[in-house]
Amino acid sequence: MPPALFRRAAWLAAALALAGAVHAAEPEFSGQLRPQWLEQRANQRGPLAAADALQPGTAPLPASGAIGEAELRASAHVAGVGLAGVATLQSQRFAGSATQSRAWFNELYVSGDAAGWQFSAGKKIVAWDVGYGFRPNDFVEQEVRRTLLSVTPEGRPVLTAEHFDASTAWTFVLVNPNKRHDDRGADEPALAARVYRRDGALDWHGFARWGVRTGASAGAAVAWVAGESLELHASARYLVRADTLAIDPAAGGGLVATNPWQPASVSHTGQALVGGTWTNEQQLSLLVEAWWDGTALGDSQWNAWNARGAHLGTLAGLAPPQAVAGNLAWQASAFGASSNLRRTNLFARLSWQYDKWQPAIDVLYAPADAGRIVTASLGWQGDRVRIDAGARLYGGPSSAVLAQVPTRRVVYVAGTWTF
Amino acid sequence: MKTTQCLAAGVLAALGAFAAPLAVAQDVPTLLKAADKYRMSSENMQVDTLISVFNTDGSPDKERRYTVFAQAKHQSLVLMQSPAEKGQKVLMLGDDFWLLMPSSQRPLRITPMQKLLGDASTGDIATLSWAEDYSGTVAGEEGCGEPAQKCLRLSLAANRKGVTYQRIELWIGKAKSEPIKADLYVQSDKLAKQARFVMDKPSAPTAVTEMLLRDQLTNKKETQVRYVSRREKTVPEAWLNPMFLARNPALD
Repeated sequence: MPPALFRRAAWLAAALALAGAVHAAEPEFSGQLRPQWLEQRANQRGPLAAADALQPGTAPLPASGAIGEAELRASAHVAGVGLAGVATLQSQRFAGSATQSRAWFNELYVSGDAAGWQFSAGKKIVAWDVGYGFRPNDFVEQEVRRTLLSVTPEGRPVLTAEHFDASTAWTFVLVNPNKRHDDRGADEPALAARVYRRDGALDWHGFARWGVRTGASAGAAVAWVAGESLELHASARYLVRADTLAIDPAAGGGLVATNPWQPASVSHTGQALVGGTWTNEQQLSLLVEAWWDGTALGDSQWNAWNARGAHLGTLAGLAPPQAVAGNLAWQASAFGASSNLRRTNLFARLSWQYDKWQPAIDVLYAPADAGRIVTASLGWQGDRVRIDAGARLYGGPSSAVLAQVPTRRVVYVAGTWTF
Repeated sequence: MKTTQCLAAGVLAALGAFAAPLAVAQDVPTLLKAADKYRMSSENMQVDTLISVFNTDGSPDKERRYTVFAQAKHQSLVLMQSPAEKGQKVLMLGDDFWLLMPSSQRPLRITPMQKLLGDASTGDIATLSWAEDYSGTVAGEEGCGEPAQKCLRLSLAANRKGVTYQRIELWIGKAKSEPIKADLYVQSDKLAKQARFVMDKPSAPTAVTEMLLRDQLTNKKETQVRYVSRREKTVPEAWLNPMFLARNPALD
């Protein structure tokens, strides 16, 4: 372990120990260790593959490797004040790279209550909204969805005030107060609010956010248990402005000297999701969702992206290969424009809980270009040990965006030991 | 709603009276209240429960620990305490259910079918009262238990949709109304589990110490539900708000 990481790990451990070991009622410690192996196959299609074929090493390609992770949790209460922390220490080594280690707090916050309100301050996971594949109104945490393994996300710096009664909850959050006003995406300083109302079989949620740079957005969500086996949910959000990436119009189809994909914003747009879950007595469960994300690049933008990629390919042999390869690699920047690649998405997940076994298969399908992601997984849960294995395959026609992402296939196996 | 339930219970009781003359002499709600006292001595309780699952050959399969805050008006909060499930919470408010997974900190609405998870469903753990949720008739008097004793057999139907078992055949001691055994049926009227109750003092029972569940629906495994500790506890109203699941209050 590098000295700097060792120091940080020791500091994390000391902070967690403080959270749990102070003179307090029932301090609690728990955690997990998780070794994981990832076998990744780089895509033979798409801009990074084309760049690498022309000039190997232009951009790093997905590689296989191992990840070791320790997650430690501690919590305690002292005189009405709660202390809680979750820390992660991670070391990973991928083919062609040196071992990389880092440590971070997922959560570290104090909480308490006064005058009927609950307050928290620190780094905390504040996760909102309904939905599985996409959550339009999860605008505090902005959790990455559809991960291969269940992971604890890294919380955001927040100050929260919450009020609960039997069926209503109010939450106000100042998020990223320590960040710069020009920080983007989930790092943007913002004020956010949620009101929740329980009405029998219906859960109603109302959301509002004001970002220092992107301004206002508002949304609503509902979850409805329609019967013994069926749950339906929907969520929608309107945004005055949202962060995205856009290509410099001056780039055209030719070679440029700097990455033409630059931060941009999209105005007066929305996001919406509808879905439902059906579960039977045998614990077979089918989840179906459809969503639209106005912050993702539009069809015309992806058509232009495909056209530019094809044109750059024709320049091979006519222009310096480094320049063509570099321009092709920059095309991959578009994959980071939004949490969804295409605006319209369909998702289905079939899972089964049978004794200790949890097999599942899911498909994300983009109707605009027939791109798809297929994931199959199998979990086994023991008293302290959990084993997960699975595979994810990206595919579709050659022009489909999902068929051109850097990774073609991921196979993984992970063991989790909890204590 | 309450009137409708009372009416339904009355109609069922009346129907039962035609089917079984014994029912005329027996007050089922009173019998159920008496049987409930052996598991839940107060309306609002904190119960620590240890679940042990055994394979069909008797070998141990898995073990889980739960803290249950069973409150009046069909309200229960279940905190999972085992390493494999630590941080998970299930809130049951009548027919409505929510689940919180610790990695997400996002309360999730679930269906009644989704709470029927595992060898001991959260319904088995959190539902400690029959009197509020079921009505029915005394179907007969027969010998049951070990050693054999005179028992009353109660045929019970759920008063509401959200309970885990829609029909229960329950045998209680005739003299002291302590629960002896039960057949538990799910919505489709399939026999899901058979339960046996172990008392603290068989000759003078005061409390159920264990419930033994034999799965009849899938794997035939036996689940031992041990009530490790019970104490009276009324939780703050806020704890029973689904969004409060994401908070981490001191449990005392």
